[in-house]
Amino acid sequence: MVLAVRIGLPRGLLYYQYGLVWENFLRELGAEVVVAGDTTKATLDHGSVLDEVCLPVKVYFGHVYELYKKVDYLFSPRVISVAAGQYTCPKIIGMPDMLRSNIDNLPPVINVNVNLRQNNRSLYEAIVSVGRTLGRGAIPSLYAWYRAWKHRHQLPTAYQSDIKRQRIGLIGHSYIIYDRQISMNIINKLRDIGFDVITPEMVSNRQATAAAKVLGKKIFWSNSHHMAGAALALMQSAQPVNGLIFMTSFSCGPDALIGELINQRAQSLNIPCLLLTVDEHTAEAGFITRLEAFTDMLVRRKRS
Amino acid sequence: MIISFPHMGALSIVLQALFTSLGRKVILPPAISKRTLELGVKYSPEAVCLPFKITLGNFIEALDQGANTIVTCGGVGPCRLGYYAEVQKGILQGLGYEFEMIIIEPNLVNIINNVHRIAPKHSLREIYSAFRLALAKMNALDSIQRKVQTVRPREITRGASDALWKTAMDEINTADTIPALRTAWYDAEHKLDQEVKLKAGVNPLRIGVVGEIYVMLEPFVNLDLVRRLGQMGVEVHTTMQLSNYVNGHLFRKSEYLELFKHLTNLARPYLGHYVGGHGLKSIAYTVHMGQQNYDGMIHVFPFTCMPEVVAKNILPKVSNDVNIPVLSLAYDEQSGEAGVVTRLEAFIDLLEYRRSTNTY
Ligand code: SF4
Repeated sequence: MVLAVRIGLPRGLLYYQYGLVWENFLRELGAEVVVAGDTTKATLDHGSVLDEVCLPVKVYFGHVYELYKKVDYLFSPRVISVAAGQYTCPKIIGMPDMLRSNIDNLPPVINVNVNLRQNNRSLYEAIVSVGRTLGRGAIPSLYAWYRAWKHRHQLPTAYQSDIKRQRIGLIGHSYIIYDRQISMNIINKLRDIGFDVITPEMVSNRQATAAAKVLGKKIFWSNSHHMAGAALALMQSAQPVNGLIFMTSFSCGPDALIGELINQRAQSLNIPCLLLTVDEHTAEAGFITRLEAFTDMLVRRKRS
Repeated sequence: MIISFPHMGALSIVLQALFTSLGRKVILPPAISKRTLELGVKYSPEAVCLPFKITLGNFIEALDQGANTIVTCGGVGPCRLGYYAEVQKGILQGLGYEFEMIIIEPNLVNIINNVHRIAPKHSLREIYSAFRLALAKMNALDSIQRKVQTVRPREITRGASDALWKTAMDEINTADTIPALRTAWYDAEHKLDQEVKLKAGVNPLRIGVVGEIYVMLEPFVNLDLVRRLGQMGVEVHTTMQLSNYVNGHLFRKSEYLELFKHLTNLARPYLGHYVGGHGLKSIAYTVHMGQQNYDGMIHVFPFTCMPEVVAKNILPKVSNDVNIPVLSLAYDEQSGEAGVVTRLEAFIDLLEYRRSTNTY
C-alpha cells in the first residue's frame, strides 16, 4: 500500500473562510490532510518569532510551527486577491515568504498564487498546479475542486433573531472572532449574557456591498470591504443593531482605517460602538470588564 | 480655490511651482512641527501609521490659514496610503471644516481630469509648460541632493554643503522659467564641486537607505536621518527619490520599468510577490547593494506599515545571505532623537569594525 502524502493545513487567517474547501480539495486529490489543532498559548509563543506583525499572523505562524515537522508538504497558498479590483492584506500576501525566511528546514510549501484581481484564470491555474504537485492531471484536479466547493459553508451564514433579545453586531476578521483563543470566546460570552450576535459572515455579500456604497471610495481590501459593508448594513437597516463591537488586533493595518470609518458612521447614527483591541498580552479580566461595561450600558439604554 | 497639500521633503517646492503656474493661489502648510504632530495624533485613529497623522496635521494647519482645497494622493492598495484621503476627509468634516478635496489617483486619466478641475481655463500648452517647470524643479532638487549626500561626509567645514543646499532650494523655488531654473541648478552643482573644501584621503562608509518613501524623504519624520549620517561621516544613498517615483509609477518610463523588473528578480528568492508600498524594493535593493559592496543598509518605515513589516521579517535572512548588516528603524510619534542616535552610532561602529577586520 502506498502511503498518502501528508499535507499540513495551518488553522489561521483565510483558513476560517476557505479551510474546509482546501481540506476537501486536498483529500479529493488523495492526500492526507493534517489540520493544526486549536490555537493555544504555545501557538502564540511560537508566533512571536515574527516582529511587529498582528496577532493573527503570529497565530498562523505558530500553527505552521506546530505542524511542519509532521508533514510532507505545507499548504499555504499565496492569496493575493479573491475579487476583482481587490487585495487581501499585504501580510497575507507575504506570508509564504515570511515562513520561508524564519523557519529552517521547512517542508516544501504549496504556495500557488491566487490572484483574482483581474480575472478568475489564476484560480484554475492554481488548482491545476496543486493537482500536478500531487501527481494528478488537470481534469481530475478541477473536478476535485468542484466537489470540494460544493461543501464550502463552514461559518454560519445566516442569523435568526429573537425580537426580544438585544442584537450586537460583532465586526472583525473571521480569524479573530472565530478563533476562541484570540477572541477570548467572545461570541459565546455575549450569547450567555443574553445578546444575539451577528457577525459579518451572516450578512450576505450583496447586502454588504450595497451598504458600502455610502463610502466615497470602494475599500480595496476584500475582507475589510465586507466587514465595513456588513457593519453599515447592520446599522442602516430598518431595525438597526442595538450596539456594535469592532474587534481588532493591535497593529492590524486595514482595521485602523476601517474602525475609524465605522465609528464615524455609528456616531452619526447614535449607535453605541465599542472598539476592542487584542494582542498576545491582553488579559482576560480586563477584557471582560470592558465587555460587561458595554453590555450593561446597552441594557440600561434599552430600559430608559 | 486656494490650494494646499501635504509636506514631504522638498515636494512642496515642486507642487507650489505646478499650481502657481496653473494660476492658482497656494497656501503651504506651515513646516511640520511638534504642533503638526500633536494635532495629527489628536484627531487620528490611534493605530494608524505616522504619515497619516502628520499629513492630517498639515491639512488642519493649512485649512486654519485659509486654504479651501486640499490636493492629495489616492492609490489602489494594498498599502493603506490609498485609503488615507477618504478617512481624513471624514475626520476633517467632523471637525467642521469646509473644503474641497482633490484626490489624485495614480493614473494619467485621473490626473488629466483633476488638472482640468484645477485649471479649467488653461490651454494644453500652458498646462504642459507648468508641468515641465515643476518636473524640472523636481529633477534639479533630486540631483543636487544626491550630490550633497556625497559631499557631506567629506567636507572639512561641517555644514558647508548644507548651506549651499539651502540657497539652492530658495533659488529653485523662486525660479519661474526653465532657463532661470537651469542657472540655479548648475550654479548649485558647480559650487558643490568647487567651493566645498574636502578632507583628503577619506573613504567614507557607504550606506543605502531603503523603506517607505514618506519616512525616507521627510526629515522631520526620520529625525534628520540623512544629514545626521552624513555628518557622522557616512555617504548615504537614498534609494527612493521623488523623481524615481514619478518617472516609474506615473510616466512608466522604460528605464524604470526595466529597473523594476530587475529588482523583482533580485527579490524573488526572498519575496515572491508585490506586497504594496515599497516592501519589495526594500528587499531588492538590499540584495543589490549587498552585491555592490555597500557597507550597510538602513531600513526605515512607519511603525505598523504593512508592506515594510513583511520586508522587515525577511530582511534578516537577506542580510545573512548577502552578508550586509541591516538596521531597521520603525518610526512613530514617540520616536525620540536620543534613541535613534544611539542606534545609529552603534551601527556605524559595527560597520567600521567590519571594515577594519575586512570580514567581507
Ligand atoms: S488584515 Fe489585519 S489582522 Fe489580517 S493579516 Fe492584515 S494586518 Fe493582520
